[in-house]
Amino acid sequence: MTSLEGARLSAHPERGTRGRWGRFAAILAFTAIALIPIYVTLFLSVRPGTFSAATSFLTFENFTNIFANTGVLTWLGNSLGVTLATVLISVAVAAPAGYVLSRARSKAVSAYSLLLFIVQSLPIITAIVPLFVLFAKLGLADNLIGIVIVYVGSTMSVATWMMAAYFDSIPRALEEASWMDGCSVFGSFLRIVLRNSLPGILSTAIFAFLLAWNDYLVALVFLKSSEVFTLPVGLQSFFQQNATDWGPVMAVSVVMLLPPALVFAVLNKYFSVGGIGGSLAGR
Amino acid sequence: MTMSSTSLATGLRRALSGAGAAGPGRPPLQTRNTRPSRGAATMLALVAPSVVLLVLINAYPLVVAASQSLHKGSLIITGQFTGLENYTDVLTRPAFWKAAWFTVVFTLVGVFGSWLVGLGLALLLRTKIPAGGFFKVVLMLPWVVPIVVSSTAWNWLVATPDSPVPRLARSLGLGDLLFLADPTLAAITVCVFKVWVSFPFMMLMISAALASVDHNVYEAADMDGATKWQTFTRITLPMIRRSTYISWILMTIFCVNDFPTIYLLTGGGPVNATSSLVVLAYRTVFQDFQTGPGVAIAFLMTLALVVISTVLYRQIRKGETA
Amino acid sequence: MNRRAFLGIAAAAASAPALAACTVSGSSNSSGGASDPIKFWDQPWGSPAYNDLAKKVTDGYQPPAGTGKASYQVIPWNNFYQTYASAIASGTGPAVSTGGGFQPFQFAAQGAIAYADDLLETWKKDGFYDDFLPGLLDANKTDNGYAGVPWQLDARILWVNQKLLEKAGVEAPTDLDSLLAAGRALKKIGVFGFGTGTGAGNNLGSHTMVAMMIMNGGGLFDPDGKPDCVTDRNIESMDFIRQLAREGIIDPACISYTTDNLNAQWASGKVATGFHTAGLQSQAAAVKDDLVVNSPLAGPHGDKAALHFVNSVMMYAKTPSQQASEAFLTYYLKNIHQYWDAALINGVPVLKSITASDAFTKNPAQVKIVKEYTPISTTYAARGTKLTAGLAAVDGGQALTQFAQTMLQGKTDSKAALTTLQSGIEEAVK
Repeated sequence: MTSLEGARLSAHPERGTRGRWGRFAAILAFTAIALIPIYVTLFLSVRPGTFSAATSFLTFENFTNIFANTGVLTWLGNSLGVTLATVLISVAVAAPAGYVLSRARSKAVSAYSLLLFIVQSLPIITAIVPLFVLFAKLGLADNLIGIVIVYVGSTMSVATWMMAAYFDSIPRALEEASWMDGCSVFGSFLRIVLRNSLPGILSTAIFAFLLAWNDYLVALVFLKSSEVFTLPVGLQSFFQQNATDWGPVMAVSVVMLLPPALVFAVLNKYFSVGGIGGSLAGR
Repeated sequence: MTMSSTSLATGLRRALSGAGAAGPGRPPLQTRNTRPSRGAATMLALVAPSVVLLVLINAYPLVVAASQSLHKGSLIITGQFTGLENYTDVLTRPAFWKAAWFTVVFTLVGVFGSWLVGLGLALLLRTKIPAGGFFKVVLMLPWVVPIVVSSTAWNWLVATPDSPVPRLARSLGLGDLLFLADPTLAAITVCVFKVWVSFPFMMLMISAALASVDHNVYEAADMDGATKWQTFTRITLPMIRRSTYISWILMTIFCVNDFPTIYLLTGGGPVNATSSLVVLAYRTVFQDFQTGPGVAIAFLMTLALVVISTVLYRQIRKGETA
Repeated sequence: MNRRAFLGIAAAAASAPALAACTVSGSSNSSGGASDPIKFWDQPWGSPAYNDLAKKVTDGYQPPAGTGKASYQVIPWNNFYQTYASAIASGTGPAVSTGGGFQPFQFAAQGAIAYADDLLETWKKDGFYDDFLPGLLDANKTDNGYAGVPWQLDARILWVNQKLLEKAGVEAPTDLDSLLAAGRALKKIGVFGFGTGTGAGNNLGSHTMVAMMIMNGGGLFDPDGKPDCVTDRNIESMDFIRQLAREGIIDPACISYTTDNLNAQWASGKVATGFHTAGLQSQAAAVKDDLVVNSPLAGPHGDKAALHFVNSVMMYAKTPSQQASEAFLTYYLKNIHQYWDAALINGVPVLKSITASDAFTKNPAQVKIVKEYTPISTTYAARGTKLTAGLAAVDGGQALTQFAQTMLQGKTDSKAALTTLQSGIEEAVK
């Protein structure tokens, strides 16, 4: 921690109060402009919708409407469930795999590392139909378990890599010491490495969270029954053939953007602590 | 003087060996094979679930796609085996090369645009600014917000002559700007949109990388009388070089494969001006209903991406051991 | 803690939320008996209220003995072809569905459709056959049989905003010259005289071009169904469009308009005439009292013809029982009048009984459409009669979209653009 503070302080030697407020103004200006599309979303969610009879300029009827008359609570529950499951399973599977990638050194492992790169490269749109056919045969289409599996699989490359990158920054000496104390490889992985990897785990978790929360291309094809809709799919039900009911669309959009924003707000401090970049540098 | 030289040397050595967040007091990274061989079975078990998922979700569709590109069928029927005919067909279409060109432009602007913006923000945010924590969170929003939501907002902002941004342009004397209808301007709008979506990711990566640079280095440079610019270009940038390259590779993959960002905003138009290769592949499969050629386009794109990222990846690895 | 326990706990922790959120899987997994439910898939043809009513109608189906009830599912428009194709490919598709205008032909060409010939024979006997407006049932005729049964028409109507026309001091247009004159007058009051759009997901622009060609006795195909775009009549029609674009009567930004952008332009009084669906009044509600269905324009040579798309209900080869599919389909079509009774649908009905109903006759726009547009309306096949699977690729495909966008830019020679279109269409229907 101290080195971090030190680095921060010494990165820019000459700095007075004027410089600080100047930087504040610059960042404020940039943020104010960059976030305009976000304000637009929030603004449009409190305007009367396309088919609304409301006459006031601002109204909360879109929100009362979606919670009372649509399945948005179901969709929200499904999205939360699917995303949580994806995050937990992704980390649980990627962490050990990343450990192997980080610690083991063999031709097979290098090949595996490269494979992670390659399979990531096929765009999802060409993969959806074959995946659906496969999952339908397994009885896993149109249900949330199937889609969790697809999401976890989709995170595998980057998640494994991220975990491996983080583990690289944890010195082997610690594990070696515990091996000499009679601990198994797996045991030291759990007790030494994993326990010290909170930032790495959180980075991977956030990545998996965003992937699962925001996906709509896969969910659209896989999920057909309204009981299993996630938020992005539910959003589609307001898009008619030639018109859109914008009120509910914007209100649901606001609901969709709150959880990821909250997650970032809460977990933010774990990122800046040299987690990803420094370790990825070693990959 | 002696002290600072020592600390500078130590700092540099540690940084160049990739010590990262380990900080002072921790030895440099792992040396070769000190792992006991009894762990081999464990290693295999640890990596097995991930490999299974990888094969199932990523490799399996890749194989099916390869097969589809060698046949003239539909999504339902495999069709006739036609060998490389789809590839030769696709490679002789002018639309393919136009899309390839736009993909290159889109990717270059996306990667470097978002990197420059992210770099600037990361540097700014490393200094003490009031409410710095608040900005760090709020500036992540463009990356975090679902693309269906942000593309709707952007459309609202620029689509018709009465939308806010064209109105602003008119009042600034810039005339009637057709942000989505004019081919050149639409391409620019799409690229700017991509930079907007991507800069938070870069900002995050660079922040983390900057945070892991040993402060001793800066202290030493400071004491040697280096200017801010010199410190930045000769010390900071090279220190985060590897992280920078990695983020460039990741963002390249994200840009080349990015379908929703472009398609939701312009549909690939006007007149294919913003159709990147992945958008072209989608349209060929799902609008022209030509599965074979469409998947061939996607496959060619994938191959190019794999080659480029492998080459860059090897370059980085080579640079590391040097 | 050993590794097995770890994995076990991880799995348990992971599946708990998934199982909590996951409810019954939607598709039936049983190995098919005649008493399995008939899966009916529908689209959002109107507001969610329409789908609610459709579900009620579906639930009200009383199956004959030995066959199953019907289950209802809404398929979003976004990527709907992907959804149907993947479902059919994996054997989890519906038994009956509505869908895109050319969907019956697409899936028939891939062997997934159950033809309706037997069903039509039954209807001929019990008289239901005669309830269909003339000529519509044949729209689904392929070489192997009837691929579907029409249930509504998606018409392309020329709408005018009466109030804006009055403000500009012009009468409702009756032919191309008067449309041009009206456009010029409207331009003087700052209104676009001809509105359309070719942005993401919006094919009204493409349909407008084809409608203009058909109006002039032209079209995309010759009577034998072969692509034939570079004709004098088509060039004439497209020259007219180009002129509108050049004179600024068409909004240059409309090339990128989604249907929502276009509807917003109508609603805010920026557009005064243009081709749109029969439901424009509900989609541009702010001006719905000012909107009037314009009588079909006469072409330069006096032709009167219009474009519409026949939306059909189709039966799939994979069904618990063909008999059950047909029974459901018959019930369904005999009940779709409820959508018009409740004014929840914008399409034009295909059944005479609906057009004669009280609820329908209360809607002057719809009545005018059925009276003046439907009799002269034809599909893409225009001069010929056969619709094929390739038409889906023409309708949604890149060639036609780019052609429309090119014409709206107003910079390209009509003949050149039509030639490019022709080769694109030839590729598509190959």
